[in-house]
Amino acid sequence: MAAGGWPDCVQSLKGVILDMCGVLYDSGEGDGVAIPGSVEAVKRLKASNLQLRFCTNETQASREKFVAKLQRLGFDISVCEVFSPAPAAVSVLKHRGLRPHLLVHDGLLPEFDGVDKTNPNCVIIGDAAENFSYQNLNDAFRVLIGLEKPVLFSLGQGRYYKETDGLKLDVGVYMKALEYACDLEAEVIGKPSAAFFNSVLSDMGIQPQEALMIGDDLVNDVGGAQRCGMKGVQVRTGKYRPSDEKHPTVTADGTVDDLARAVDTILNQRGQ
Amino acid sequence: MAGRRALKAVLIDLSGTLHIEDTAVPGAQEALNRLRQASVAVKFVTNTTKESKRNLLERLQNLNFDLQEKEIFTSLSAARSLLEQRQHRPLLLVEDSALEDFTGIDTSEPNAIVIGLAPDHFNYQTLNKAFRMILDGAPLIAIHKARYYKRKDGLALGPGPFVTGLEYATDCKATVVGKPEKTFFTQALSDLGCCPDEAVMIGDDARDDVGGAQNAGMLGILVRTGKYREGDENKISPPPHLTCDSFPDAVEHILKNLL
Repeated sequence: MAAGGWPDCVQSLKGVILDMCGVLYDSGEGDGVAIPGSVEAVKRLKASNLQLRFCTNETQASREKFVAKLQRLGFDISVCEVFSPAPAAVSVLKHRGLRPHLLVHDGLLPEFDGVDKTNPNCVIIGDAAENFSYQNLNDAFRVLIGLEKPVLFSLGQGRYYKETDGLKLDVGVYMKALEYACDLEAEVIGKPSAAFFNSVLSDMGIQPQEALMIGDDLVNDVGGAQRCGMKGVQVRTGKYRPSDEKHPTVTADGTVDDLARAVDTILNQRGQ
Repeated sequence: MAGRRALKAVLIDLSGTLHIEDTAVPGAQEALNRLRQASVAVKFVTNTTKESKRNLLERLQNLNFDLQEKEIFTSLSAARSLLEQRQHRPLLLVEDSALEDFTGIDTSEPNAIVIGLAPDHFNYQTLNKAFRMILDGAPLIAIHKARYYKRKDGLALGPGPFVTGLEYATDCKATVVGKPEKTFFTQALSDLGCCPDEAVMIGDDARDDVGGAQNAGMLGILVRTGKYREGDENKISPPPHLTCDSFPDAVEHILKNLL
C-alpha cells in the first residue's frame, strides 16, 4: 500500500464517520442484533482523541426512535452524533424556502413536524415501503407536474435492501419512476451526496483528508466518501459482497473483516 | 417514390385518426370503404394496455366502420405473440379488461412479467414480487412506456415510470412491444405477407405512428386530427412522407399516388 493509504493514513486522522446498518448492527426481527465487537469498538473510539459521527440513510424512523433502538442494543450513542437524510432535508427546505409534499414512511413524519407543508412546491420521497401505492405515487406526480419548476428530493437512491422475508425495493426505484414521468432529475439527500458528507465534516470542524468513513456499502459509503476527499474503508459485514473487492469503479482504501478489526488497526497505528 | 415496391398494405391508427372519443372523423367511414375497394390489405393498429380487441371492434362498429376483429393488431397482441414465440408463462400486470386478449396463454408458475397500465397491481407488494422474479431471470415485457395519460380527474401515471423503476432496481432493460417499436410494425405486417417497404402507416402521433413506421422501413402519413399539434411534422427526422388534414385526405393520396 502506497504511503498515505490505509492503514498509514490513520496517523493524520482527526475524525471517523461510521455507517450504521451493516456496520454496527444487522436489521431483522425487532431491533435486530449488534454485530459482534461493534459495541466495544464504538466505546474505544469514543475514548480516543478522534472525533466520531454516525451517518445513515435510514428513513423509516425518526432519528430519536432510531437512536433509542441502538441504545437498546448497547451502543453509547446520542441523537446529536447521528446524521440522517431527513434532518438534512429539513435544513435544505428552510434554506431554499420550500414547502414539501411528503411521500415517506409514517415513522419518518415526526422529523417534518415543524415544516410548512401547505401549498407544496416540491416533493420529498423516502423509503415509504407499503406507502408506495399507485395512488400515493400519483399524488406526488401531480404535485410535480403542476409546478412550473418541479423539484424532487430523494432521501437516498438505493435500489433494494434485504429484510428477513426477502429483498425489498428501495427509494431509488421510485425516484427513477418519478424522474421518468416528469422528465427531471432528482436531488439526492443522504449518502452518497457530497453535501451530506460535507455537513458531517463541518460539524466536526475538520477537512476531508482528516476524516475516514467506514461502511458496508461500497458505492454509497466508500465511493461517496472518497469523492469528497475522505478515505473510505469497507467492512466485510452487512451488504458486503466478495465481488465488491474487484468493483469496476470503486476501490476501497482498505477492506477489513468488521468494525472491531478496523478500530483495532486505527488505534494500534496511532499508538493508543 | 423511386425504388419502392408497389403498395400492398395500409396500417391505420384508431383513436385520433379514425375517431375522436365517440365521434368519427368526418368522412372516415366512406374513405375506409374506398380504400377497401383498392387491392391493398388493411390493418388497424393501436397502443392500448387495457382495451381488448373485442372492445375496440365494438366501438368502431358502433361508429359504422367496416372492419373485423382479425384486422386489429394492438400492443396487447404484440405482447401475446412475443409470449407465444418465446413460450413464456407470464405474470400479467394488466387490467382485467385486457385479460381476454391473453386467453389460452399458460400463466402457471410464471417465468416472465408483462406490464401494462394496471394501477391495481402497482402496489409495493406486487412490484416487489415482480422485482424478485426479474432478479431470478424472468424477462420484463412492457406493453409500452407512456409516461402519463389524461384521466377525467387529471393526469395519471402510465406504465412507463413503473417499468423504468423496475429496470433500475434490476439493472436490466425491458422489451417494449408497442408502437413505436420496429417489431410492432413488422409483426402487424407479418400475416399479410408483405415487407415494410410495401406498406404505409396513417396516424396522428408523429413519433409513435409516423416516426416508428418510417423507422421500420414503411412510409408514414401524419394526419392533423386527434393529438396532432402544429409543428409535430418537424419533430421527427426524416419528416413524414405526407402530412394532411385528415384520414380521407390520406386515403385520397394513397389511391392517387401510391398504387
